[in-house]
Amino acid sequence: MVRLIVNRLLLSIVLVVISSIAIFFLMSLVPGDPARSILGAAATPDSIERLRQQLGLDQPLLAQYGSWLLGALRGDLGESVFTGDQVVTLILARVPVTASLILLSTLVIAALGTALGLLSAVRGGVLGKVLDVVSLVGLALPSYWVAILLVALVAVALRIFPATGYFAFADDPGRWLLGLILPVAALSLGGVTIVAKQMRDSAMDVLARDYIRVLRATGVRESSIVLKHVLRNSALPSLTVVGLTVVGSLTGAVFVENVFVLPGLGTLVTQATTSHDLPVVLGVGVFFTLFVIVVNLAIDLLYGVLNPKVRVS
Amino acid sequence: MSAVTRPTRKVALAVAVLAVIGGMTACSSASPAPEGSGSTGGTLTTQFAGVPISLNPALGGSGGSAIFTSLPYDSLIYQTGDGELIPDLATDWTLSDDNTKLTLTLRDGVKFASGEVMDADAVKASLEYAIDAGGGNARYAGPVDSIEATADDTVEITYSSAYPDAPYYLTQYWSVGQIIGPDGLADPDSLLTSSDGTGQYSYSASDSVTGSTYTYVRNDDYFNPDAIQYDKVVVKVIGDPSAVSSAITTGQVDFGSASPTTAGSATAAGLDLVTAPFFTWGLTMADTQGAISPELKDPDVRKAIAMAIDRDSLANALDADFTHPNGQIGADGIDGYVDGFGFEYDVAKAKSLLADAGYPNGFELTVLTENILDSQTTISQAIAGDLGKIGITVNLEVKNSVPDFIQAALSKEYPALIWPVVGTNSAQVLTNFTQPGVTNPFGNTDPTLDDLYGQAQSSTDAAARSELYEQITKAANDVAWFAPVISTDNIFVVGSKVENVTASALNPNPMPQAPDAQYAWKHAAE
Repeated sequence: MVRLIVNRLLLSIVLVVISSIAIFFLMSLVPGDPARSILGAAATPDSIERLRQQLGLDQPLLAQYGSWLLGALRGDLGESVFTGDQVVTLILARVPVTASLILLSTLVIAALGTALGLLSAVRGGVLGKVLDVVSLVGLALPSYWVAILLVALVAVALRIFPATGYFAFADDPGRWLLGLILPVAALSLGGVTIVAKQMRDSAMDVLARDYIRVLRATGVRESSIVLKHVLRNSALPSLTVVGLTVVGSLTGAVFVENVFVLPGLGTLVTQATTSHDLPVVLGVGVFFTLFVIVVNLAIDLLYGVLNPKVRVS
Repeated sequence: MSAVTRPTRKVALAVAVLAVIGGMTACSSASPAPEGSGSTGGTLTTQFAGVPISLNPALGGSGGSAIFTSLPYDSLIYQTGDGELIPDLATDWTLSDDNTKLTLTLRDGVKFASGEVMDADAVKASLEYAIDAGGGNARYAGPVDSIEATADDTVEITYSSAYPDAPYYLTQYWSVGQIIGPDGLADPDSLLTSSDGTGQYSYSASDSVTGSTYTYVRNDDYFNPDAIQYDKVVVKVIGDPSAVSSAITTGQVDFGSASPTTAGSATAAGLDLVTAPFFTWGLTMADTQGAISPELKDPDVRKAIAMAIDRDSLANALDADFTHPNGQIGADGIDGYVDGFGFEYDVAKAKSLLADAGYPNGFELTVLTENILDSQTTISQAIAGDLGKIGITVNLEVKNSVPDFIQAALSKEYPALIWPVVGTNSAQVLTNFTQPGVTNPFGNTDPTLDDLYGQAQSSTDAAARSELYEQITKAANDVAWFAPVISTDNIFVVGSKVENVTASALNPNPMPQAPDAQYAWKHAAE
């Protein structure tokens, strides 16, 4: 297990470098000039050139990237060209918001998806068919659209939950939770349906196995069979799907944060991208890459916990 | 028994959950604001669509984005919602007879956040810093020749040529007029995380989230405490118009900008709208020397283009309530607007002018535009369609970001472009086409326009200047560098807890604070 973690950490360095190169050069292809964005339409060419020099934008691309990479290896992700804030500071200020969103969303996806899938497999019938249809609908509805719909119906029309904004957990846990209910619902809908469908299919496969028949024949209670045997053996494929949806929810979070005006990494990277704030985009890109690596590592470790064969291998 | 009790428990649980949620929701909308008109205190939450360009006023934005810096930094002069200029840090100001010298008398007993005294030396240093700091609005300081502190409370600004708009550009909407204290000037980087002004509020970095929420807390040392209406002002950055609408409708935000689409839902929810004419959109025919498109060298061709555009239809298509057909360079309400004047829609005459100019079958014209601002895509397509009616094939070159558009416009590779212009008088609007910039990349000049502009700048009589502004409006259509199409309103939604918000063509960007309480936003009567 230690070797697995060490390998993943080494791999993460390579992935961060590759992803940062990709982000850097893709951003350089995007038309526009940060100095012009900062100074606006009324700026003189002299002032724009002066600011370009101050920001180091007059340097060759490779030199700019090399300078950033050297800093990043020392833990310095640079400064925002717009605000002058340290990128690390900007990211750390936003992490609690996105982390809250992703964490709650993951819990909802895993718990609700598993419960629905298991229930559908055990009960079958109409519930199973409904789940099939809902899964398709859930997959088809983009989280951005669901978010707008929830705001219009639940927040504006019914006034049950806040339409926008975020409260820190430390300041007010109740308002923190209240403000995240709609964003989490929008972000989780697709994941819940996918996991439920996967869970249902896996559980039905397990339920058809001989050893389940043997357990039933020996008089083991049905609830015990479902919770101890079916759930554990059908959870592995679902775990992979949960991992994928968590990684995918990063993309959804970018949109959902913008709809609900949550000051998370999604809104930060959106603002940074539109204003050509390259250090911030690179910093968030590095953070997202590390997040994906950590999630995958966590899934692998959980596999080992759930499946002894994986532990042995 | 259990069959009866279990559902009852579920129902009870559901009721309890709803009750908790309801209670939490009630808490979430509660704000420690005092009740009723005339009271002060509490928090004002307002919205702006973008992040601040900088919290250093010398590098900050103008217009509506000046809210980020005008809350902590008083300006020398304050512009009310109606456009009137009233004292702020300067209690009095006079322009010399030839409009080349501005003398400002400063308020006594004012201190910066650092505790330093606001005097002539401090103002001179701040003005000079703002001019040299390299901010995008430095040019609006005007043709400054020198700035002198002639007494402890007197500053004289001398201009190398007449500059009658000097007082206007020292108001809260422009970087130059927002005065920074000596400590801030000594360490400009500190202005990004704290403020050193004399304003009603101080920037609180600890209560703010960069790029999302900017919080300003009451300055107890402000020179006129009675003018302060709120203990705290929070500016939220919300770009999506739908999110703005939702936030205001549900009371999470007290004031915000709206689009024609979201304005409808706001009024349906019983909220007030404040509108003011702002942009004039049109086709700038920049290549008047015919460097790229020889056809545009002929003034009759340019006039034909201006006459081929169906302004009424476009205004109706966009939104008749907030979009107005306009055939002259400035919006209705600015100084120099001429009632009933402007390019008329006349396709037959436009075709005739084109034929007489030697283009009976029209020609191809590449037009630069972008798709970010307001309704620019619709406007661009409408112009292209209308010009097709007189045989001109428009090739729209669409940019996906404003910086990209600006870069392309200045490249001199595009003979014409679609971009809005703005100004509080026609001379200001005219500078869009006579000074180097996005709408004048080729450096066009015209002796008649220059002469009228010079006369207007030198004129000390308001009526005579207004007359000259009107002549500028007419002369601008004579040269036909710009085919105006529509004027659009700035639209703002005001929540139910706020009143006394005003805007006008002379000041289309309301600000909450004012040095005199009668002009400040206030708590609405319950």
